[in-house]
Amino acid sequence: MDLARIVATFARIGILNELQYRANFFFQLLESAIGLATALIGLSLVFRHTTALAGWTPAELLVVMGIYGVMSGIVQALIQPNMLRLAQDVLEGKLDYALTKPVDAQLLISIREWQVWRFTNAVVGLFVIGWALLWMQASVRLDQLITFGIALLCGVIALYSFWLILATTSFWVIQIESLINLFEGLFAAGRWPVSIYPSWLRVLLTFLVPVAFAVTVPAEALTNRLTGPTLALAAGVALGLFVIARLFFRWGLSRYSGASA
Amino acid sequence: MSPNIPAIIVRDLVKTYEVPERDPGLLAAIRSLFRRRVRAIHAVSGVSFTIQPGEVVGFLGPNGAGKTTTLKMLTGLLHPTSGEALVFGYVPARREPDFLRRITLVMGNRNQLQWDLPALDSFELIRAIYRLPPAEFRATRDELIELLDVGDLVRKPVRNLSLGERMKMEIIGALLHRPQALFLDEPTLGLDVTMQRRIRAFVAEYNRRTGATVLLTSHYMADVEALCRRVIVIHHGRVLFDGPLSELVEQFAAYRKLIVTLAESGADLNAFGEVLAQDGLRYTLRVPKAMAPAVTARLLAEAPVADLMVEEPPIDDVIEQVFAVSNPL
Repeated sequence: MDLARIVATFARIGILNELQYRANFFFQLLESAIGLATALIGLSLVFRHTTALAGWTPAELLVVMGIYGVMSGIVQALIQPNMLRLAQDVLEGKLDYALTKPVDAQLLISIREWQVWRFTNAVVGLFVIGWALLWMQASVRLDQLITFGIALLCGVIALYSFWLILATTSFWVIQIESLINLFEGLFAAGRWPVSIYPSWLRVLLTFLVPVAFAVTVPAEALTNRLTGPTLALAAGVALGLFVIARLFFRWGLSRYSGASA
Repeated sequence: MSPNIPAIIVRDLVKTYEVPERDPGLLAAIRSLFRRRVRAIHAVSGVSFTIQPGEVVGFLGPNGAGKTTTLKMLTGLLHPTSGEALVFGYVPARREPDFLRRITLVMGNRNQLQWDLPALDSFELIRAIYRLPPAEFRATRDELIELLDVGDLVRKPVRNLSLGERMKMEIIGALLHRPQALFLDEPTLGLDVTMQRRIRAFVAEYNRRTGATVLLTSHYMADVEALCRRVIVIHHGRVLFDGPLSELVEQFAAYRKLIVTLAESGADLNAFGEVLAQDGLRYTLRVPKAMAPAVTARLLAEAPVADLMVEEPPIDDVIEQVFAVSNPL
């Protein structure tokens, strides 16, 4: 398929680019290790005082933490770099070349940057999930694995759409750094299941920043908590956000071509 | 495409930008937070022209004349405020893939190649984007590499190339899909004279081989003189002149230069026109264009003329004059 070919070629170029900065790999590994250690220490401190947090056992919380790692790895490797580049290109009027290509503009601006070393977080996250499942001695059924996959995909789509909306505002707003910092702060809350937070924050983390759908819902799939309606809601939110993001991006583009010099 | 169907049709094209405006100073800045004042900038105000397939047309004008804005409207980057643009029958602003596949845009001040990688890798990316069949892609790539004589450079990281070498790579990248219309915005910007000449020769050769239509903007008159039989002069968003380069000179050059060599000294040529230079018996006179034939006749009759030549002023001077005359300020 042509689409897959384009994505694969961009990925290859991205990897070629990153291979030149091998030191980044070791820095990233160190960063992932420190991140994991801090998270584990936090977890152990919490469970020194209690055996369950809002109904989640230590092993289950480890699953949440692993999924958080997977998600932040994907965001940092692919979503964030591309969206930052979009914002920068809009600011500097450098979107021209991307717009003269016979490929969907949204696709093109979403796959140009591949910071592959950042996937380290995702790989570490997968190991953490595996470790947690062993600890729980849980036997994961195939259907659970499939719903987990679907939930994960919905989560990625929701996060991507959210980022695209954020980056698209750069067609109107000049500096979006503060917005990005805000996002990162809120996303960090995803290390824990959203059910532990007060309800106002939970609403915020569910519908404003889709952390709940990106991390908690996939974790629910692996820990026998996920209900059909929740999964349907996650899929609906992912689809809805994607449509909104696409329309918003197109509107931004038409503004770019309508106004910029 | 038959030669009587134009490649590019532009009719009454208008582009007006709204630019926020405020007075200098903190107070004005705060005031503008609440009430934004916008000023309309008429970048292009009613431009019309038609370009036939295979033509190489030079687009001339001072900075801010509306050249780049027009080019951007023709490549689908900007929507016209009003008027019409058609390229091969497509409305550029719709950015249909079939249209984009047939055009290319080269901007002298922008680059699209991967900075840290050899150009060959970027070419692969372009192949995927345009879905070029491998055999066709390789043939085009190798032909362009040979034409620009860069065989040993395509394997070096782009960041290690000189500005001119990089421009050659950008041009190859822009032509891999064999576009039928080339929009070149200052392609020789910042390059040294030799490199400018190479790029120019290449564009001419490419046009000869493929019959592609070329619309080129440049500050360097040499580019235009070498490549374009036809020029469109644009100023303050309007077309001032559209026709052969020679006619531009004819129409706008107000003066002629007479180079007179006398057989003997002693004659005072100041009576015939303004003496710009004297070198022994060789004089350079400047006379108003309308008077040139009469002055020439008088010189031949009244002075001991050994040799006489009539010269047109250099194209740069003419262009400068065009803009000076039409400037309302």
